[in-house]
Amino acid sequence: MKKRILALVLALCMVFALAACSNGNNNDNANKGTNNQQNTNTANVINIGAIGCLTGAASTYGVSVANGIKLAVDEINNAGGIDVAGTKYTIALTQKDDQGDPTECLNAFNELTGNGIELIIGSVISSCSSAITSPANTAGVVMITPTSTADAVTTTSDYVFRSCYADSNQGAIAAAYAAQQGYTKVGVVYCAADTYSKGLYDSFSAACAANNVEIVVAESTDTMEANDFSNQFQSVIDSGVDFVFAPYYYGTVGPYLVPSARRAGYTGIIMGADGYDGVLGCISEGTEEYFYDVIFTNHYDSADTSDVVKNFVTAYGAAYNNEVPTAFAALAYDATYMMVQAITKAGAFDAASVKAALDDQTVVYTGVTGTFSLDATGTPNKGAAIIEFTNDGTSVTTQLRDTVSIG
Amino acid sequence: MSAFLTALFTGLRLGSIYALVALGYTMVYGIIKLINFAHGDFIMVGGYSLFFVVPIVQRMGMPGWLAVIVAVVICSVIGMATELIAYRPVRKKGTNMTALITAISVSLVLENLAQAIPAMGPNPRVVNSIFGNEGISIAGASLSYVTIITIVVSAVVMVLLFTFTQKSKTGRAMRAVSEDKQAATLMGINVNRTIITTFGIGAGLAGVAALMYLAQYPSVTNTMGSTLGLYAFIAAVLGGIGSLPGAMLGGFVIGIVYSFSSAYISSSLASAFVFLILIIVLLVKPTGILGKNVGEKV
Amino acid sequence: MTNKKTLTGYIVNFIICVALVVFAVMARSLGMQPKVSTMIWQCCYFIILACSLNLVLGFLGQLSLGHCGFMAIGAYSAALISLAFQRAGFYTEKSGPEFMLVLVICIVAAGILSAIVGLIVGIPALRLKGDYLAIITLGFGMIIVNVINNLPFCGMDGLSLGSASSALYQNGLGFVLHQLTDYLWLPVLLVIICVALMFTFIRSKYGRTIKAIRDNEIAAGASGVNVSYYKVLTFALGAFFSGIAGAIFACCNSSLTTGSFSFTSSSILNSTFIVVMVVVGGMGSLTGSAVSAVGMFLLNYTIKNGKWVQALPNFAQQIFAYPMLVYSIALIIVIVFRPKGIFGTYEFSLVNFVTSIPRWPAILKEKFGKKKTEEVAGNE
Repeated sequence: MKKRILALVLALCMVFALAACSNGNNNDNANKGTNNQQNTNTANVINIGAIGCLTGAASTYGVSVANGIKLAVDEINNAGGIDVAGTKYTIALTQKDDQGDPTECLNAFNELTGNGIELIIGSVISSCSSAITSPANTAGVVMITPTSTADAVTTTSDYVFRSCYADSNQGAIAAAYAAQQGYTKVGVVYCAADTYSKGLYDSFSAACAANNVEIVVAESTDTMEANDFSNQFQSVIDSGVDFVFAPYYYGTVGPYLVPSARRAGYTGIIMGADGYDGVLGCISEGTEEYFYDVIFTNHYDSADTSDVVKNFVTAYGAAYNNEVPTAFAALAYDATYMMVQAITKAGAFDAASVKAALDDQTVVYTGVTGTFSLDATGTPNKGAAIIEFTNDGTSVTTQLRDTVSIG
Repeated sequence: MSAFLTALFTGLRLGSIYALVALGYTMVYGIIKLINFAHGDFIMVGGYSLFFVVPIVQRMGMPGWLAVIVAVVICSVIGMATELIAYRPVRKKGTNMTALITAISVSLVLENLAQAIPAMGPNPRVVNSIFGNEGISIAGASLSYVTIITIVVSAVVMVLLFTFTQKSKTGRAMRAVSEDKQAATLMGINVNRTIITTFGIGAGLAGVAALMYLAQYPSVTNTMGSTLGLYAFIAAVLGGIGSLPGAMLGGFVIGIVYSFSSAYISSSLASAFVFLILIIVLLVKPTGILGKNVGEKV
Repeated sequence: MTNKKTLTGYIVNFIICVALVVFAVMARSLGMQPKVSTMIWQCCYFIILACSLNLVLGFLGQLSLGHCGFMAIGAYSAALISLAFQRAGFYTEKSGPEFMLVLVICIVAAGILSAIVGLIVGIPALRLKGDYLAIITLGFGMIIVNVINNLPFCGMDGLSLGSASSALYQNGLGFVLHQLTDYLWLPVLLVIICVALMFTFIRSKYGRTIKAIRDNEIAAGASGVNVSYYKVLTFALGAFFSGIAGAIFACCNSSLTTGSFSFTSSSILNSTFIVVMVVVGGMGSLTGSAVSAVGMFLLNYTIKNGKWVQALPNFAQQIFAYPMLVYSIALIIVIVFRPKGIFGTYEFSLVNFVTSIPRWPAILKEKFGKKKTEEVAGNE
């Protein structure tokens, strides 16, 4: 018995020690979130909730989004707060973790609304956001999702808005770009079991038909974390196309997809969507030579020289160990400012007024990810930056290749 | 032809990894009849060790694969610590099922701990290229040297383990413990030490598997162990769990079935086909391809 | 004497059940928050799920790692069938007699469909035992999710408007917020019915037979028990109840994704976690399964949302930011200290509990008295 307790105590000590010395970003966020919550008692405060996957498999995105929101809120509070009908209000942010699971997301939502919060930024991944859209509408809670691109997340006249474009738009941009570059035969490699990948494939193929581009070969994988694409690209090569649309996430694209494709002997264009943002950090040393003619549509270009982007990138780097903000962080930052602009316009911060302000399709939002207004469903009309990877044999860099916007 | 060869080579590439991981599963299962759910996470531990050590070794001018020594040591220590802290107390009092639950919990602890430590975190970490990208090209399909090395390594490991369990004193003790713990104790075998040695060797194998995995698929995440471990476990069961050559065979069968079904039938259902093969084999021969058929005693 | 005791038992149980349902019906007027009612809904499907797995794992002694697959079938069939009724214009509001009829049809159909799949899976799978069965059921669980992913009518707007591999955004049942409180009697009633059915099953001759199979399959077979028949029956029954749990899941979620039921799901709704709930509660105790299902759900919930977490020192808060880490450590501690599960094979009996209340002072006195004498003995 004594031995057993000793062993347990030792194990616990090890765990606690390891976790305690880990004073990294992730923990800081979770902490700042809870610290902020304690301010809610003071006067002149607007409570805003944020939901995202801070832990779990998709937590990379969740942490970026949380960082983006936090940065925006800090900026606003440091500047004295929001001016609502002549009075200055500061923002109290409460961040909740949904572990990337729809049920947990619902619980987080209930917890926030149970505490009287009516304005929510989140959730991050589409399946989570979809779990709370109808509760949000029923409860009358304004929800701006920064990154859920699935088309079905927002409908007309509801309380749900977003700061990113929808999947249908993204796939259409890729198809339009292929047509513009003169490709008439293209291939697709996608994951049939994933909402993101399949959604992009559907919109891409619809737009291809409209642009007179023929999809000659469509290959699929069974998970998004597939690590071998040799078979898929072998049949792409056999069909003789030079343009492949491959919507995957960066963790797959950097180490697996591109090297696999090039090793199999495919030399044409590989095009992706916003999931490619972050590939730069995931390139294995020794495989740099494979990264040519790899392009993707993104929400913004972090190397953009406009003031808005430059200020954002600098501020983000200063706040989070010189990290370059991903598009997820940028979208979250914009979502927060959208919320603030709507509050200012409405002159009130109850859900109904903020919703009415966001419903106005004439309002123009100027954010890091472009200047845009919302359409009837609450989705921004904005173009995309097409970013390209280039290499000099030993290092890979990104550069802006083109910007495309469609009707 | 080239499509066929590509599918075959891809199958061999996946299969060689599964075979190597499955050896570790079979090793532990063969001795204490425990599905070590945490084995996949030992590979994750090995992967992170390589992620940190490979650049250091390469900077010192030595070949990157030497880092495997460190990985094996770290994995073994973690494996033995797991046995000491979690499995042993439960084995004394509990049933097979409680041991299984402990294994699941240990796997969860390791995965989530890796996520909580910022140097690892949830982001995929990419490891430097270890053996280079060269390979041979046959009729338009390329077979990289890494695949060949992996096959050789798993064969060598299998032969070594087989000789070890059959010939050496510790190996014989392991087999005795696997047959009957009480009788083994009566024969003067230190059961606890034998089991902890088994865990050390099994987890050490995970370090080797991590090296070969990363040489082909150079990315580490905290959840990499769960799917890899699952397929490897299926491979071990398919080949007949507890049998070392069976694990090897099962690994290659799984890899090749996966690759061919994704090339010729439907890639979105490839994993369903893997399970289908497993189900068919187990229904025909319930102990796996090379498994021993043990008669039941009343 | 026995008859009188049984009668008292029926009366006490009946009164308590009615009280529970009445409480659930009145929840709205008692001012229950949607947050709390959602939690009760979730507890309810966890209880049914854990108990139904206990039939297979604790009483039949077969490890099944694909239980959430059956739940997925239940959830999707309930959502799609109700959606079909809704599209056909059978009901428009989520109330009224038409909707009640649909609700009953959906719940029963969810159970039956899962049971049918359970039969299809069970007949081949149950020829195997132990770890082999575990891996096969795990495989089936994954295949079920995989197949649902590839069915066009299970995604997007569902039925003819569907698209494969997308979340199902439309759900004819999906209650939100106050509806969850209004319908709180539904899961409570279902839990009572399901647990009562399972309990009677275990106490029946079937139950005794499957326990015999668990304890010694060969001996049971030799005594003339049709082993495969009983195994498949129990397996299908377990699938039936998890299908009903799935229907409850569909009721309290307005959209469904297969990710919730997959093996790699990062929340506690996960086939392995249901096994964990059963083992922690005690294999062979329905009470244990129910208690540990609720306990583990609340543990997971409170780690994330509890106010007490904020009162902890800073470094502890950083650890509690990773709910799964704390959760798994707690699990190891429970298992190490109580390897047979919290309840073992003990079943809680309401009657014994109620009738023992008058004797409590005596029992307490006895226990404390004993302790004191022990202490005295220790001091000497």
